[in-house]
Amino acid sequence: MHNLQLALDGAWKVLLASLILGAGLPALFALGVRSMAYGTGGEVSGGSPHRTGTIVGYVCFGIVLLGVLLGLTYIVATGLGKTLSFENVIPTLVDKS
Amino acid sequence: MILTLVVITALGFDFTNGFHDTANAMATLIATGALRPKVAVLLSAVLNLVGAFLSVQVALTVTNAVVRIQNSDGTPKTETLDGGGTALLLIVLAGLVGAIVWNVFTWLLGLPSSSSHALFGGLIGSAVAGLGWAGVNWTGDGSKLDGVVGKVLLPAILSPVIAGVVAGVGTWLIYRLTVGVARRFTDNGFRWGQIGSASLVSLAHGTNDAQKTMGVITLALIAAGEWSDTGAIPFWVKVTCAVAISLGTYLGGWRIIRTLGKGLVEIGPPQGMAAESASAAVILSSSQLGFALSTTQVATGSILGSGVGRPGAQVRWAVAGRMVTAWLITMPAAGLAGALMWWIADLIGGSAGAVVIFALLLALTGLMWARSRRTPVNHHNVNDEWQDDRAPARVPAGHAS
Repeated sequence: MHNLQLALDGAWKVLLASLILGAGLPALFALGVRSMAYGTGGEVSGGSPHRTGTIVGYVCFGIVLLGVLLGLTYIVATGLGKTLSFENVIPTLVDKS
Repeated sequence: MILTLVVITALGFDFTNGFHDTANAMATLIATGALRPKVAVLLSAVLNLVGAFLSVQVALTVTNAVVRIQNSDGTPKTETLDGGGTALLLIVLAGLVGAIVWNVFTWLLGLPSSSSHALFGGLIGSAVAGLGWAGVNWTGDGSKLDGVVGKVLLPAILSPVIAGVVAGVGTWLIYRLTVGVARRFTDNGFRWGQIGSASLVSLAHGTNDAQKTMGVITLALIAAGEWSDTGAIPFWVKVTCAVAISLGTYLGGWRIIRTLGKGLVEIGPPQGMAAESASAAVILSSSQLGFALSTTQVATGSILGSGVGRPGAQVRWAVAGRMVTAWLITMPAAGLAGALMWWIADLIGGSAGAVVIFALLLALTGLMWARSRRTPVNHHNVNDEWQDDRAPARVPAGHAS
């Protein structure tokens, strides 16, 4: 049953990648929302503005945006017959094999 | 003559593919009120159009995953070309008719079944009828994920589970991280998060699904001797497919949007974002890793997961069960419809047979559309309170499910 083996092999990779991108990034986004709220002093406790909160918030949103851009690049690249290679850690565009 | 019917039917399938799948990306946006229903479907339609045009790469070998009517370079197998390609055209036409009939039927029931499964099921059915059991690529050659088992069945079981787990974890994390943050911050933040993640899903859908129809039409053109380049798709095919899928998306499968957005779980903005992010991540990472899957099943799994992951949320398992049933019977049912259509066409023979099954397609879809007018679901009532006793997914008598 080669197919089953191959499918399970692919499935755990998909699960791992999706957990990082699909649950990690939204969690970071939530952290960003929380920091922003803290930054404007809107959290339950506190009440005065905190600059660190705003900065951390922007950093979180920035990372999330990078993740979204990676996804967009991937979609566009696939359409053009190319694919993203993660071999050199930094994603680069290569021709699809 | 048959070729014209194949092209029209394929575009018709592309159209049903569009309206059947609007819900995958937009159901959560609409249910949480992040965008007004009409705006959401417009956004999705535009992104599907853009996505379809982005697919420059040729998806000519799309049928190779499940049936054996093409060589590996995309040209039709010679034995299917008897009589000017009529044999192949009839198989494709019957398969498409079966797929559309099943798609419209599940839409009538408000069930989010997979359009790719309907297409593959229909083609498998007509290939079995036309070529025998050997006409189907059941398991591939074992060197990579291939065939009906590897490309369709196994991913169909695994992908909703993966999407559900990811969305569940995401939802749980989001709720944990935003405990105590005022609503005015969370609602606005997650609204944008939802719009962004749902847009990614729509774009990915456009690039993937429009390509399938383009591949099928080009295959038909090659079989009929109207096109010979296996490295490119005629420009008019690309334009018509892109327009068909985005028109379908804009029409909006409101019945399915309602089931996914309101029927499964009462969804909040953070859950909507978690669900769509999970869908986008699973769809993109699996296609990067060469793991074929159905957008519909991923989206449903995600929404279900976002319900499980939220502390204290209620999931309507009866609705979920009905969906799983629809997934299980989509391939066999579309296959049966495809086979039946091929037999009818073959019995009558030639162009007349093709015309008859095309007329049958029009009659059946017309009937189902007329039936849908009795309990209309549109952008006005799509978000109404869900009541189990008059759910749109009522199963008609005589239909075993």
